Amino acid sequence: MNDAAARLGLKAGMALADAKAMYPTLIVADADPDAEQRLLAAIADWCDRYTPLIGLDPPDGLTLDITGCAHLFGGEAAFCGNIVQQLARQGFAARAAIADTVGCAWAVARYFRHPPLQGEGRIAEGNPGRGPPAYAIAPMGGVRDALLPLRLAALRIAPDIEAGLAQAGLKCIADVIDRPRAPLAARFGEHFIRRIDQALGREDEPITPRLPIPLYVAERRFADPILLEADVLGTTEALAQELARMLERRGEGARRLEVALFRTDGKVYRTTVGTGAPLRDPARIRALFAERLTAIGDACDPGFGFDVVRLAALATERCDPLQTGLAAADHAAELTHLVDRLGARFGLRRVTRLVPQDTHIPEFAVAAVAAASFKTRSCGPLLRMRCILPHGEERGQSSDLILRSRAAPGVSKDGCAAQTRGHPSRRAQERAPQDEAATASAGIQADSLCPARPIRLFGWPEPIEAIAEVPDGPPVRFRWRRVLHQVASAEGPERIAMEWWRDRNGRALTRDYFRIESREGVRVWVYREGLYGHELAEPRWFLHGLFA
Amino acid sequence: MPALTGHAPSLSLPRKSGRVGGLVAATLDPDGVSPRSGLRPAFPLGVEEGSLRLGVPALDAALQGGLAVGALHELAPASELQLGAAFGFALAIAALAAAKDGRQVLCIATEFAAREGGAPYGVGLDLFGLPLERLMILRVAHPRDALWGFEEALKCRALAAVLAELPEAGDAADFTATRRLALAAQAGGGLGLLLRHRHCPLPSAAMTRWQVASAASAPDRFGGLGGTHFDLALNRNRRGRCGRWIADWNHDERTFVPQALSLGMAETARDRSDRARRLRTA
Repeated sequence: MNDAAARLGLKAGMALADAKAMYPTLIVADADPDAEQRLLAAIADWCDRYTPLIGLDPPDGLTLDITGCAHLFGGEAAFCGNIVQQLARQGFAARAAIADTVGCAWAVARYFRHPPLQGEGRIAEGNPGRGPPAYAIAPMGGVRDALLPLRLAALRIAPDIEAGLAQAGLKCIADVIDRPRAPLAARFGEHFIRRIDQALGREDEPITPRLPIPLYVAERRFADPILLEADVLGTTEALAQELARMLERRGEGARRLEVALFRTDGKVYRTTVGTGAPLRDPARIRALFAERLTAIGDACDPGFGFDVVRLAALATERCDPLQTGLAAADHAAELTHLVDRLGARFGLRRVTRLVPQDTHIPEFAVAAVAAASFKTRSCGPLLRMRCILPHGEERGQSSDLILRSRAAPGVSKDGCAAQTRGHPSRRAQERAPQDEAATASAGIQADSLCPARPIRLFGWPEPIEAIAEVPDGPPVRFRWRRVLHQVASAEGPERIAMEWWRDRNGRALTRDYFRIESREGVRVWVYREGLYGHELAEPRWFLHGLFA
Repeated sequence: MPALTGHAPSLSLPRKSGRVGGLVAATLDPDGVSPRSGLRPAFPLGVEEGSLRLGVPALDAALQGGLAVGALHELAPASELQLGAAFGFALAIAALAAAKDGRQVLCIATEFAAREGGAPYGVGLDLFGLPLERLMILRVAHPRDALWGFEEALKCRALAAVLAELPEAGDAADFTATRRLALAAQAGGGLGLLLRHRHCPLPSAAMTRWQVASAASAPDRFGGLGGTHFDLALNRNRRGRCGRWIADWNHDERTFVPQALSLGMAETARDRSDRARRLRTA
């Protein structure tokens, strides 16, 4: 409902039919709370030019912490005037209030009436344009005086509590503020007392910022908006120099940087880049944002230009000066630069390193970790250990046991079973450094074995049609992607049971893996999901990976 | 003199004196060594140092000392089913390069390539000879992004090899793109390996072009699968002759092992591109 409707005497909560009956020409639109919230967020974004600490106060308010900001605009009155005027230019009717506490500012902004009642004279008010006052400023230390004449609703209490207080004859804040607290708390709840304390500043009330507060900020304002990408990047580099001085003084480097571009019409674009190592070099910061802006492309529309450019370091890390070598090229630094550049272009999560996980299930055995957040030195030796162990003794013994117990009922594929049984233990032997003679004697035979795991793994195992001996022989032929393959030789099964904690509904089936070479020499890793008779009547076959 | 330069179009030799002409004649000798002059083979200076020796003498001889470092090499599977073999060969080369000087390897793949042909699997790569701490992976959405990342990575001196995969024939990597990549590789000094998922007839600026298949392995003494055998067809070689070899990859020692028996193949004309040869054989 807009002001014009209010002047006609319409009220929120009226039946639409009644309103239409009163004014047949009434224009009606559906309420869209989500759009309103987005608009509020956009206004909050725009307000970022006044202070970085902005809290949303839905449905229609914003809370700005302007500690130390007002003098930049020529005092509190000029500050308020500026905001209200700029918002009015964009078509928003706003009321602003400045006070010592969040509660008091909230109350004054919404319930302070003009002309001032008795006792309200100490509140300074004004309007940069014409019309009724658009802002009100409670003087420092004048919270109590500002609150006294206001209605009780100004304490941010529910309507039923306000109605209850009205029944008791309590209408304005002056009526309750000095009353004994215990009876009030007993009748109207602790919350009511808390609201009074918050408004008076007896209890601290933090503002929840909508965006993370940057640690270091450098910004530049332009009388004439800038339009060109080169100008934006040039400004970014100049700001990066300022930022670098600040960071250097504290011995820190930035890990995450954000450029906020404030368009003249109020839209704000924020682009963030992350780095793999603490960074201060302005030229490199510029290069990263150049990548990022290229990657964003047309999503960042300059419109009529940007009038504020702000560079902020969102996350920093200690950055000690490094001694650079004269002779050897610094590969580590160069690699970090590359990761940063690729990350700025594609997102840091897309540049990954693989870390082994402690599980037997093939698809979970390796996790991809963003390369920027990966510490090589700390993980190096661990990696090797983990990599060797599952395929060396540990894994070897476990599959050994399974195979032996299965070999007893007289599996016809003797050679196959014997081979797999021999294989892991021989690998373990070969890996042991002390037994060199054994390695030498195992020699070429050991080396001629195919690796135990494929080099490519399908994220979704591909279903294949396989003809295999029941219950658990290797496939004789199989059809994958409509091509029929004749199996020349096979190794397996390597039985991998699902971890019990993944087996929620009894659906996780045991897999028997086979390494298979076709007549054409194509090597694949296939498995049968489920055991004949025990788990499924008709187990299905899948192709999970490719060997070289 | 003009006739000689016409025979070796890919060699940029100065045309000043008769002595240089003699050198050109030496490169045309199949073995790469001139028995008459006793001179060293006349590939450009410093190539010996900039070569990655594969360890198969016949192959290294054809490549004039090894796979050129600081250059782009193209690989494709002989058929679509042989993707694993082609990737394995590229990986083996990358592992060799990384083992040589302890630098890193970057694998670039598009989402589609990874979905269609499987993603590089860490445990398998480690077993295959490329330790995980040497490996970085970049996953991108489009082939053009892959090429951009490939070029950036090739310029970086901290990488021993960059392996980029393009789905299908990888039409995004045309002659211009491969030329850019080749120049980037030259600047960075790393090994550029472009793996197309299907053979591509487009011209390319790559130093060598391979078609890889896996050869049938001899079963080990337990009747299981043998080692990894590659059937390598070198279809284009700017530094020497083409040919076809079978090589084993020993993933424990990280070396190629030559197969005693090499496949017989008709001698290819050295001054023709692979396209011309294919047209002739077709």
